[in-house]
Amino acid sequence: MTDSPAIEVTGITRIFESRKGFLFRERTRTEALRGVDLAVEAGAIFGLLGPNGAGKTTLVKILSTLLLPTSGVARVLGHDVVEDTAWLRPRIGLVLGGERGLYNRINARDNLRYFADLYGIPRAEREARIDEVLARVDLVAAADRRVEEFSRGMKQKLHIARGILHRPQVLFLDEPTIGLDPKSARETRKLVRSLVADGVTILLTTHYMFEAEELCPEIAVLSKGRIVARDTVAGLRQLVGGDRTLEAEAYGFEDRELTAIRKLPGVSKVFSEEYGPRTRLTLRLRSAETVPGDIAAMLPGHPELSVRERQTSLEDVYLDLVEEEAH
Amino acid sequence: MATAEVPHVSRSRATSASLRLSFLMFMADPQWLIPSMIAPVVFGLVAFELFRGAGPYFLTYAILGAGMMSMWGQTLYGSGWAIGQDREFGTLEPTVQSPTPYVYVVLGRVLWNVISGLIGGAIVYLVVLGAAGSPPPLPDPVGFVVLFVFVMLTLASVGILFSAAWVYTRYSGFIQNVGEFAFYVGTGCMFPVVLLPFWTNPVALFFPPTWALDALRYLSIPGYVGFGWGFWPDIAGAIISTAIYIGIAGSVFRRVELNVLAKGDLGDF
Repeated sequence: MTDSPAIEVTGITRIFESRKGFLFRERTRTEALRGVDLAVEAGAIFGLLGPNGAGKTTLVKILSTLLLPTSGVARVLGHDVVEDTAWLRPRIGLVLGGERGLYNRINARDNLRYFADLYGIPRAEREARIDEVLARVDLVAAADRRVEEFSRGMKQKLHIARGILHRPQVLFLDEPTIGLDPKSARETRKLVRSLVADGVTILLTTHYMFEAEELCPEIAVLSKGRIVARDTVAGLRQLVGGDRTLEAEAYGFEDRELTAIRKLPGVSKVFSEEYGPRTRLTLRLRSAETVPGDIAAMLPGHPELSVRERQTSLEDVYLDLVEEEAH
Repeated sequence: MATAEVPHVSRSRATSASLRLSFLMFMADPQWLIPSMIAPVVFGLVAFELFRGAGPYFLTYAILGAGMMSMWGQTLYGSGWAIGQDREFGTLEPTVQSPTPYVYVVLGRVLWNVISGLIGGAIVYLVVLGAAGSPPPLPDPVGFVVLFVFVMLTLASVGILFSAAWVYTRYSGFIQNVGEFAFYVGTGCMFPVVLLPFWTNPVALFFPPTWALDALRYLSIPGYVGFGWGFWPDIAGAIISTAIYIGIAGSVFRRVELNVLAKGDLGDF
C-alpha cells in the first residue's frame, strides 16, 4: 500500500456527440461528466452513488481505460489512464455486469480460460486460479454448463469471477448486485469485503443505499455529471441537515404552520410531499432539541396527525442532494 | 486472494486462445454448418455444371471457382463477422480492456476462419471429384496446395482490415454486405478478372487475392494467360500487397482502438 491515492481524478469531463438522421444529420452533445474531482486511497472501498444517467458508468469506463475523457486527468495506481493503458490493464479489473459481456454458447470455465490467456495468467496456474474464483462466486457446480443456461444472478457472478481472475490491484464494480436475489447479493457483498481485506482497492457504483452504507466508509454522490457531495455516511447526513429526521403526516398543513415548524430549534430543512389526500412533512434535525411531541403540540388542529422519528438514511441524503442539484 | 504479480502477456498465446474460442463457438453453433459444410457442396456442384465442357481443365476451373467462393465467405466475411459478434455479445469491451493488443485477438479469429475455409475448399474438391469421377489433371499438386493456402492468407489479410472496420463502427456490416459481391467478382474468385471490363482490372489489383488467384491459375492450368505478366510477377504482387495490407492493419488497429475509445461505443451493437 502506498501513500498516494490509488485512484486520482482531476477535472474530468466527458462529452458524447451523436448524430441523428440520414441526409440532414442533427448533432447532439451530451455532457456526461462535468469537471469531476475524486481521490480514493489504496486499499479502500469507495462508493459512487447517483441516479441513472448521472455519469457513474462513464467515469468507471474512463478509469478502466475503456473510454477517453474529453478533458482532465485520471490516474490509477499513479499512472495516466490515457497514456499508460498497457501498464494499467493487467493491474485493474472491471465488472460491468448485465446480461451481455459473456460468451453465452460456451461454458463458464471456457469463458474464464479465454480471459486467463488474454491476461497472461501462467498456464501452470490457470486451472487452479479458475477453480479458485469459481469457488469464490459459488459457481463450481455450474462451471461446465453453457452460460446461456445461467440465470441473471449466475451471469453476474461470472462477470465478477472474470473481473478478479487476474487478481487486480484496483477493481471497478459497476452495480455488481443489480438483478441478484437477496441471498446472492449478500454473498456478493461478502465477497467484496473479502477483496478489500486482501488489499484490493474498490470503486463501487450502486443504486442501493443500504449497500453503499454497508460497504463503503466513504461515498460520493454524482448527479448530472458532477460530484455534489463526498464524505462518510455520517458526514453526508450532517451535510443534508442532520442525522435525525422527523416525519409528520396529516391532511394538509397551512403556510403559517410550516413557517412555525421551520423556526423550531435544530430544524435545518423542511420538505413537503403530497401523498393523495395526505401531506408528509420531512424535517432534518441537527440537534435533539426538537422532539415529536413538539410537533404534535404545534399542530393541535390535526387530530389525524402522526409523527415519527428516525435516523436520516443514506437514501434521504441521496434524494436530498440529487433533488437540490435538479433545482 | 492476494493481488498477483503482473505476468507477461504472450501474444502467440493470446492468438491461440482466440483461435480456440472461435473453434468452441463454431462447434457450439449449428448455424455455421451451412456456410462451412453445406454451401461448399452446393458451390461445387454449381461450378461443375457451369464449367462442364470448358476444355480439358474445366475441373480445375470448377474447383478453383467453387473453392474460392466457399473460402471467400469463411475467411474474409467470417473474419469481420467474428468481431461483429463480439459487439453483439458485449464481449468487445472486456476483450479490448484486457492487456492483449486487440489485433492479436483478431488474428486468432482470422486463423480459425482460414482453417475453416480450407475445410470448405477440401469439401469442394471432393464434391467435384465425385461429380467428375476422376481427379483433375494438376501439373504441380504440391505447388497447388501450397499456393492454395497462400491464397487463403491473402484473403485473411483483407479479412483483418475488415475486422478493423467492425471494431470501428457497428455499421460496418452494411459496408460488408454491399461490397461482398463486388469484391467477390472483382478479385476473380469464380472466374478470371481479365474477363471483366478493362477498367475493373486496375481496381482489382489493389486486392491481394487477385494476384494470388491469378498465380494459382497459372500454376494449375497450362496455357492460362491471365494478366499476361506470368506466374512470378503475380506471386511478387501478392506478397507485396499482402504485406501492405498486414502493415496497414497493424497500424490501423491502434488508431481504431483510440478512435472507438474516444467515441465510447464499444459496447453498442
